[in-house]
Amino acid sequence: MGPLIPNGVIASGWDFVIAILIGLVFGFILEASGFSSSRNIAGVFYGYNFVVLRVFFTAVIVANVGFLYLDYFGWLDLSKVYVLPTYFGPMLLGSIIMGLGFIIGGFCPGTTFTAIAIGKKDALFFFIGIFIGIFLFGEGFPLYDKFYASGYMGNATIEDVLGISAQWFTVIMTVVALASFWVTAEIEKKVRKNRKEYKF
Amino acid sequence: MNKNYIFLTILMLALAVGTLFLHKEKEYEQIKPEELLWDIIQPTRYVTTDQVAKMIIAKDPTLELVDVRDSKQFEKFSLPNAVNVPLSDILKPESQDYFGLPGVKVVFFSNDDITADQAWVITKRMGYNDTYVMKGGLNCWIETIIQPKEPEETAPYTEFEKYQFRKGAQMYFTGAKVESSAKKTEVKVRRRKKTSVAAGGC
Repeated sequence: MGPLIPNGVIASGWDFVIAILIGLVFGFILEASGFSSSRNIAGVFYGYNFVVLRVFFTAVIVANVGFLYLDYFGWLDLSKVYVLPTYFGPMLLGSIIMGLGFIIGGFCPGTTFTAIAIGKKDALFFFIGIFIGIFLFGEGFPLYDKFYASGYMGNATIEDVLGISAQWFTVIMTVVALASFWVTAEIEKKVRKNRKEYKF
Repeated sequence: MNKNYIFLTILMLALAVGTLFLHKEKEYEQIKPEELLWDIIQPTRYVTTDQVAKMIIAKDPTLELVDVRDSKQFEKFSLPNAVNVPLSDILKPESQDYFGLPGVKVVFFSNDDITADQAWVITKRMGYNDTYVMKGGLNCWIETIIQPKEPEETAPYTEFEKYQFRKGAQMYFTGAKVESSAKKTEVKVRRRKKTSVAAGGC
């Protein structure tokens, strides 16, 4: 059945509408998880708040395990799911810059907008900064266009590159994620005195 | 610790370990059963041995002969320029290279046409078009092309034409010698007896 648009279940003209709906839900989850606070985000680096790590790790393992089951039941054809092509060097550098921005600014592009939505001034400055950065990158592109396209590895997946089966990688990932949940919870208990115990 | 966290951790771990037991067999994309059934009952997939012989002699580049018997039988005897894809190997990826080429007619053959028909159904289900079956298989090939039988005298003219073609094809494939079809009949010349008597006249 899936993916829905490549298989023609949903006409391709709907992709932007769906993107808006997913964006609304994504923004809501980011805000509800506390991602609109730069303290929460930068807290991962300083070691007193690991909510970012927990939220994203949860997203990764749920999607990872879920995709494998959906593929097995025939509801989603994983071979048709778009895999972003890998450019090893540029991606490594990009992730370092992104990480630095995360620590210094306290936002990532997505969380900036959730923070603006609840009226944070620091997010507004970060937002302006994003566009200055995009402009400078675009203007200076001829200087590093060769590096930008270097290290191309195609639509590489961990299965292809490391030779581990997707199932085993999922198990390892899940164990690491779950272990990190428990460890970071213990760390937070010791470090933070005003920590809230969430109940559900 | 919250009991819910413990429960969720165990659940997630169980689901993740569960993925190790998912073994999905590769599924090929298939055509719809109704379409397959419709194609199966059509006789259009059959080509005659004469048509195949004609195409081989004409060195038709669009013809691709696929021998679906096992490799032992293939080595013993097969048609010229045929490739060997045993029926058991037909789903292997390396066999797929032969099918689905644009503008190429794939003709399956075996000793009879049953195995070739099976190969045809399999490739049809996988969605390949332009696949055909040589009617009667190699047995029919031997009967019609290699050892053609002369039609009866009362047979229609087209039968004789076909026979002529088959004889020609036989020569092409086996190198048999020409047999002249005209039987030698003694020509008797009847002479009129000469008569000394003046015949007729005024």
